[in-house]
Amino acid sequence: MFRKAINFWAKHQILITAIFFAVVLVYPLVLESYYLRNVAIQCLLYSILSLALNLIMGYTGIVVLGMAAFYGIGAYSLAILTTKAGFSFLPALVCSVIITFIAGALLALPTLRIQGNYLAIVTLGFCEIMRIVELNWVSLTNGPFGIKQIPAPSLFGFTLSQPVQKYYLAVVLLAIVVLLMHNVINSRSGRAWKSIKSDPIAAQAMGINVFRYKVFAFAICAAIAGLAGVYYASYIGYVDSTTFNYNQSIQILSMTIMGGLGSIPGSIFGAIFFVILPEFLRWLGTFCGEWIVEWRQILYGLILVLMIMFKSDGILGGFDLRQIHLYNRLQEKNAAAEEGQKK
Amino acid sequence: MSEVVLHCEKITQRFSGLIAVSDVTMDIYQNEIVGVIGPNGAGKTTLFNDITGIYRPTEGTVTFAGEDITGLAPHKITAKGMTRTFQNIRLFDNMMVLDNVLVGLHSANKASIVESMLRLPRDRREEKESLRRAEEVLELTGLYEYRYNYANSLPYGLQRRLEIARALASRPKLILLDEPAAGMNEQETSELLVFIQQLKKMGNTIILIEHDMRLVMNLCDRIYVLDHGMLIANGTPDEVRSNPQVITAYLGEEV
Repeated sequence: MFRKAINFWAKHQILITAIFFAVVLVYPLVLESYYLRNVAIQCLLYSILSLALNLIMGYTGIVVLGMAAFYGIGAYSLAILTTKAGFSFLPALVCSVIITFIAGALLALPTLRIQGNYLAIVTLGFCEIMRIVELNWVSLTNGPFGIKQIPAPSLFGFTLSQPVQKYYLAVVLLAIVVLLMHNVINSRSGRAWKSIKSDPIAAQAMGINVFRYKVFAFAICAAIAGLAGVYYASYIGYVDSTTFNYNQSIQILSMTIMGGLGSIPGSIFGAIFFVILPEFLRWLGTFCGEWIVEWRQILYGLILVLMIMFKSDGILGGFDLRQIHLYNRLQEKNAAAEEGQKK
Repeated sequence: MSEVVLHCEKITQRFSGLIAVSDVTMDIYQNEIVGVIGPNGAGKTTLFNDITGIYRPTEGTVTFAGEDITGLAPHKITAKGMTRTFQNIRLFDNMMVLDNVLVGLHSANKASIVESMLRLPRDRREEKESLRRAEEVLELTGLYEYRYNYANSLPYGLQRRLEIARALASRPKLILLDEPAAGMNEQETSELLVFIQQLKKMGNTIILIEHDMRLVMNLCDRIYVLDHGMLIANGTPDEVRSNPQVITAYLGEEV
């Protein structure tokens, strides 16, 4: 049943992507509730973060437990550039993304010498260090007070102050990230990343500069997370260090893993699922009592345990829609040819 | 005699106390099939690793197509036109057969990450060209109908073949095959024999490590014999077969 749905999806990929974005575009026009719009923005924002992590974890096979660090660097960069350095939104966005790209590369250069779990722990430590820096570098970050009054995003003179406009900005950013990621993973570089995940020694023997590709995967992952941070800062209008902590990193990690490693729709699905779940339970709580909200953590645990037991690479993990489409089409063609021969 | 493709000059590889390869000098000429044989632990794979840059030889130099490549990183050596297969198959299991071959074409292309992200003209041109070449190689190796299968879903013999296809894709000047017939049955081995002969006819230069003597003797123009890291013989299959030192190395001394 599930397999059939995946086959159908693989066959009509473009159509289903189009429907998804159509729904996303129409959504705020139909549902004018401030609350629902906010939840949707969260979904879009976490989709970007989850995709960023998927690039490095799902495709390149490096576990990063400190995504919030890059998210935070992006957010703080924008906040500082717009409030203190007087940048307008677009140049500040570009600079912030470049800053996180460099931060990612700088972290990757020394740490990629260590492997596997140790590397994961280093990224976890980096996240904590960044949080402490953000909290204590008062002259730059205002320390525990955070940075207030970050201007709303503006593009070419138009200020996007309405929530709907901010919503559409998030849609545009997500669409760009999805498009670039889709392009790159089915290219020379994307295949290089996948081959590194599969077998680094063989990848090297194929002429791939493994270290270089890992550094770039790290830096691009950081840059995308930085982009999400930029959006977050200008959307909320306020940043402080408590947002970019360990829990945030684990939240993003759960989304990527639950949705499916190495799957773009998987990451988006994971993000939507984990944003909506607590909201859904809160809504449910209004009918059957508050207890269900308090049971939330247990439900999370249960979901993760079931995932690990039955599908450890995530709901959509291991389904390469492109491969499924090509494979099925070839099978159909062969079957048709055989049929023709019989006649 | 035709051009020298690979020249190893007095290669020695030590691992602290152990001397795995000792003072090996060899020449490989254009369009030759050269066998490297020897008992287990003779240093054949270590020699391969020295040539392909996975190890840096303790002493000696490797010259490839007139260029000193001693101690270069493996990916740089591959980019110069030397590819290899592995003793224990190392395919990219969770990628399509087609994508495996496309990875083999990595060093033939130049498009950067940004060019691929934006699908700029160079990326598109290279992708098209690579796809054409990959399909050509798959057809040549008889893997075309499996092109959209995952690599790990292929039967063993075809996985070996795919490894060779991947090494072949970038039109290398030299291919090193590390025990291509390992674990193959008689049928598969004979098919491999025909296949490698076909590769030679197409102008490829090949070095192979192999234990299957029938394959080596039928296939190779020349054979180098290693024992305890040292070169004990080299010559045509007939010369090697009748060499007393080789017989001793393989069968032990007469009591």
